Amino acid sequence: MHGIRVGKRMIGTQSPVTVGWENIPKVEGGPVKRFVFTWFQPAMLVAMIAFWYYAPNSIAKASTAVGIGIGFKVLLLGLEWVNPRYASWRLTWKELVTDLFYVGLGFTLLHMVSHFIGSDVMAKSIEHYFHQDDFLWFTGLPILLQAFLMAFIFDFGQYWMHRGMHNWYPLWLPHSVHHYITQLNINKGAVGNPVELFLIGLGIGGFFDFLPRAVLISGAFGLAIGTYQHINVRFNSPRWWRFLFNTTEHHSVHHSRDFEATRSNFAGSFIFIDRIFGTCIDGEAELLGMEGGRRMSIREQMTHPFTEAWKTLTERLPLEQRF
Amino acid sequence: MNLRLIDWIWHIRDSLVLAPGQSSKDAFDRLDPLFRQTGTSYQRTNDTLIFSKKNQAAQDKMSVFDGGELRIDERAGGSVLRYHLTSKTLLFCFLAAPLFLGIAQFTVVVSKFEKPPAQEEKKHAGMPMNPIDKALGAPEPDNSKKDHADEDKKLSPKAAYIFSGIFAVLYVVGRILEDRLLKAQFKKSLIVAE
Repeated sequence: MHGIRVGKRMIGTQSPVTVGWENIPKVEGGPVKRFVFTWFQPAMLVAMIAFWYYAPNSIAKASTAVGIGIGFKVLLLGLEWVNPRYASWRLTWKELVTDLFYVGLGFTLLHMVSHFIGSDVMAKSIEHYFHQDDFLWFTGLPILLQAFLMAFIFDFGQYWMHRGMHNWYPLWLPHSVHHYITQLNINKGAVGNPVELFLIGLGIGGFFDFLPRAVLISGAFGLAIGTYQHINVRFNSPRWWRFLFNTTEHHSVHHSRDFEATRSNFAGSFIFIDRIFGTCIDGEAELLGMEGGRRMSIREQMTHPFTEAWKTLTERLPLEQRF
Repeated sequence: MNLRLIDWIWHIRDSLVLAPGQSSKDAFDRLDPLFRQTGTSYQRTNDTLIFSKKNQAAQDKMSVFDGGELRIDERAGGSVLRYHLTSKTLLFCFLAAPLFLGIAQFTVVVSKFEKPPAQEEKKHAGMPMNPIDKALGAPEPDNSKKDHADEDKKLSPKAAYIFSGIFAVLYVVGRILEDRLLKAQFKKSLIVAE
């Protein structure tokens, strides 16, 4: 395979990757279908922001956001059924069981761990060092700006955490499991080794609980933008959307079987962060995964980072030399 | 305990009557593409096919199954294909329901060790509202009430109970659906008696 030069890198030398928006297929069908799949993403983003902006205080709370999140994902599952991007990514019963197992872990055990030693604790620990009056300059900003800044700061942190995972072996081990997925579906973002899922969820978002409305709107940015990373739907996303936000096309390049291509598109929601740091590749890929697309079982997903770490350790430090 | 009483959870046994005159060789030849898949190994004899799968592809039409045996009993009025397949995924899905029930109980136990929230109301400093938000008609910040965020963050077993229910439903759906899809796939590949 020859690959295509993108900056200083050759993309697609190991596995096919389509580079450039002009080479990506468009939504096929009648004018209504094309209209819906062009404007669905912007319309949902505006609708969610407007909802949280104007919702009365009595319903502007986290439990409502959880309900909306679940409802939205069910809707997106329906879209995957109606207009799949690739037939080879069709959701099967087995894939759904696997995905929901990880979603379930996220809502239960991982939530519990985060509660005791993760983000909640981090947020509480810095709370003592600040008084709300210190943030009057921030709380006096327009709500939408507050929300955007929160979402941006979180995504900026995620960008570097994610980039670190691809560049530092101890972090790559837990993250590598997520790269064994061989197709994208709406819940695939939850699939991975729990250690990685804990790390990628770290943040101090809870610190801003005193700004519930801005927090909820910043969550809506994640839901109405970041969710599309792992989705099997063909959209005609508007040009400005693709320039600013991460899309399933970008993320499929990140998950492709081509090593160089995986070292791109690290941001969760705001792809312009990748553009700033020169790691963005506009394109898409169908063949995903590692080791030629080997699908990992749940058991291996749980143990892989530890067995690999042990293997590496024993290779580098032979046992007979240590004792 | 007789394992046969419970192994229906992850075992699928069924049969199909083939069209008169269809030999076992012809039948297995027609089924052959289903077993020429990544991660699948199989052995064929005259009347039996034994297969096993490891790390099978997501889109493998038999990805749910990890191994099994297909046997053709030749009869005068039409041979019968009998199959017996096993699926770790069906077993996993079946066990996921009690697993999440266990997680729910664990959450109940762990939540007893949580520090009770402070009784006094958290008083927010009067939160300023930007003139732009006022002009656009956003609701006033809720400065007086209790902090709802703390209530939302309390550990609750509710999610684990919901997922237990989801996996119970998924198991029933999968046990029926995958059985039928497999049979339909075999029918599509073979010439079966009407």
